[in-house]
Amino acid sequence: MERLINIDRRIIFVFVFLGVAIPLLVDIHLPIKPTPTVRSVYDEIERISIEDPDRPVLVSFSYGASTVPEMVPMTRAILRHLFSRGRKVVGICLWPEAVGIAQPIMDELAAEFGMKYGTDYAFLGYKPGQHAVVLNLGQSVAGTFPFDTAGTAIGDLPVLDGAKNLKDFSLVFDFAAGDSMEFWWIPFGQEKHRFPFAGGCTAVMAPDLYPFLQSKQLVGLLGGLAGAAEYETIIGVPGSATAGMEPQSVTHLIIILFILLGNTVYFITRRRGGTV
Amino acid sequence: MLFLTRTLPFLFCFVFGVTSWIIYYVPHEYAQTIEREFALWLRLVFAFAYVLGLVSLLSLHWAKIRQRQAGWAYSLIVYISFGVMMLFVVYNDGNGPFAPQETTGPYQWTFINVHVASSATMFSLLAFFISSAAYRTFRARTPEAAILLVSAIIVMLGRVPIGAYISDVIPEAMQWLMSVPNMAAKRGILLGVSLGAIATSLRIIFGIERSYLGGGDD
Amino acid sequence: MTRDRYVFVGFLALFLSANAILVANGSLALDWDGIGVMVAVGCTLALYSFLYKDNALFKVAEHVYVGVAAAYVFGITWYNSLYGEIIVSYFDIGAEGSTGGGHNPWVLLFPTLLGLLMLTRFSRKFSWLSRISFAFVVGVGAGLTIPRFMSSFLLGQLEPSLAPLSLSWEGLNLFLVLVGVITVLVYFFFSVEHKGAVGHASRLGIWFLMVSFGASFGYTIMARLSLLIGRISFLLDDWLHVM
Repeated sequence: MERLINIDRRIIFVFVFLGVAIPLLVDIHLPIKPTPTVRSVYDEIERISIEDPDRPVLVSFSYGASTVPEMVPMTRAILRHLFSRGRKVVGICLWPEAVGIAQPIMDELAAEFGMKYGTDYAFLGYKPGQHAVVLNLGQSVAGTFPFDTAGTAIGDLPVLDGAKNLKDFSLVFDFAAGDSMEFWWIPFGQEKHRFPFAGGCTAVMAPDLYPFLQSKQLVGLLGGLAGAAEYETIIGVPGSATAGMEPQSVTHLIIILFILLGNTVYFITRRRGGTV
Repeated sequence: MLFLTRTLPFLFCFVFGVTSWIIYYVPHEYAQTIEREFALWLRLVFAFAYVLGLVSLLSLHWAKIRQRQAGWAYSLIVYISFGVMMLFVVYNDGNGPFAPQETTGPYQWTFINVHVASSATMFSLLAFFISSAAYRTFRARTPEAAILLVSAIIVMLGRVPIGAYISDVIPEAMQWLMSVPNMAAKRGILLGVSLGAIATSLRIIFGIERSYLGGGDD
Repeated sequence: MTRDRYVFVGFLALFLSANAILVANGSLALDWDGIGVMVAVGCTLALYSFLYKDNALFKVAEHVYVGVAAAYVFGITWYNSLYGEIIVSYFDIGAEGSTGGGHNPWVLLFPTLLGLLMLTRFSRKFSWLSRISFAFVVGVGAGLTIPRFMSSFLLGQLEPSLAPLSLSWEGLNLFLVLVGVITVLVYFFFSVEHKGAVGHASRLGIWFLMVSFGASFGYTIMARLSLLIGRISFLLDDWLHVM
């Protein structure tokens, strides 16, 4: 029994690896059912596309290279939805690493939908300062991002005509790998300017953000790869998140079985009067 | 000298802290201008803080190389890789450092193929260790631990398609668990954290909390 | 040769052979994109070698990553802020054909000075000057935080907790939320001994906390596995082309 608990951890690693690799190679599909928090994001984008079609949407990228597998699929899904509805999109970064990741994705998806840079979308780059950037945006977009990444002055970008501060965006969406939603955007932005605010975050952050959903400070939330997969299902364009749900399911089962096995051995050993 | 090294920073902290606090409640245009300038200044000082962090990192590794401490060769690797990447930063796909940043070229190539790959891999290593740790140590020794275990299992099954495949009750249970008991606990923690943050901010502004000044002569 | 050395040599040989085969059969091109994939896979596998045992290959990859990351972040900060905002404003540099922009250089004097003072941290003689910068950052940060946390976290979270209850499932859930928030706060209130009614409330608060920690644990496992799925997808699809 003790040997079972003390097995070489590399054996567990092999199980985890196979639990991920095999479902990726085998063609199985489990149906994905969107949850209400994800559907709220979709409904909000649909609502503003009908009721508020002219004002741009501000998309903030607050993630780094370490969370690319979780955040990039939801970035693609949300941007695809926004561009497919003809929304003008303005991208900013609050994390330095996000620039090199988000800008190519924005350019690629904009090209797919025939969006023109400057008129239909813009990428303003990164500014250090965390909550200070959000605070500044609430007062003046041009004062915070005087130029875009190509050095063009904000005044020369038609997409930002009329967008003086955060109140002038129809929706603000934050992709967060850290606490940017909870400690930057909500207290320093949404609290004062009351703009519709939604977000996508890593699965680690998601449980912490439920209080803001109930208080309506957050309109909706995409949590982790599963949230991205649900959004891909809603918009009808399956991508890497959907493909990742089968390995996710299998490895979750494997880990649960390991935990139950460990507890079974523990209780049996305890009943026999031994120690584990 | 004591005035410059201790009293002046406290005065700065107090004046700027109280001003930042009070202007929140003043809707006048001048107050909003002050707030805008403070936020701008804060942003720009943060940029210099990055330089500070960078120099600290390089100093640490330089000390290791100079003193030939254990693993100093790895610190040399840090310098070499930093130097190569800085060359790419300065090169800026042929435009030099005094032009807007290019999105193509060796800088972006190295970022995608070295930085992103390494960063994502480092964090994905945790998946293996968390699985191994869960198997070895996650025991329902007490009722509280059992609640934690059951809650974790419901969430792990309910959040992925296999949960709905097994039973429709699992994702419903997961939704309820996240929206009610989890949300209540997180809200309680958030209220506590906020009170703590406000108390700490007040202590900082009034000079009771001085750890931000660092060590050295006081 | 020790066993570990055999494993290392075998690992390296396997990696090089796999790349040679992929290039030979056309799956990987010998251009910058293809070489980039090989480099990325090399970094990935070198870091994953830690799962077998801590080794020199892992340490090399780790330290290369540290150096590259440091330079990358400096580059972004330079182009977006130090050059892109400060220098451009001082020298009135704009893109060709641009209508200008940037800040009033006089406005930037004070933060630039504060930033430079921050760098005096490394001088033994003048490091006290950096305290002024830190005092500014910490003071402004604290002052900005107080009213906003009060509004968005305290008031913004208390209001929905005290929503009117009703005799319905929603009402029951709201009641549970209220009970949960109060009991969790009671648990964290250590100024009163947790005995009697306070003790029972505190115990209930612990149970709510355990549910939330279990949920966080489940989500954390999901997050880490998602990252692993991403890397293995990259290895199987972008490199080996077997997906």
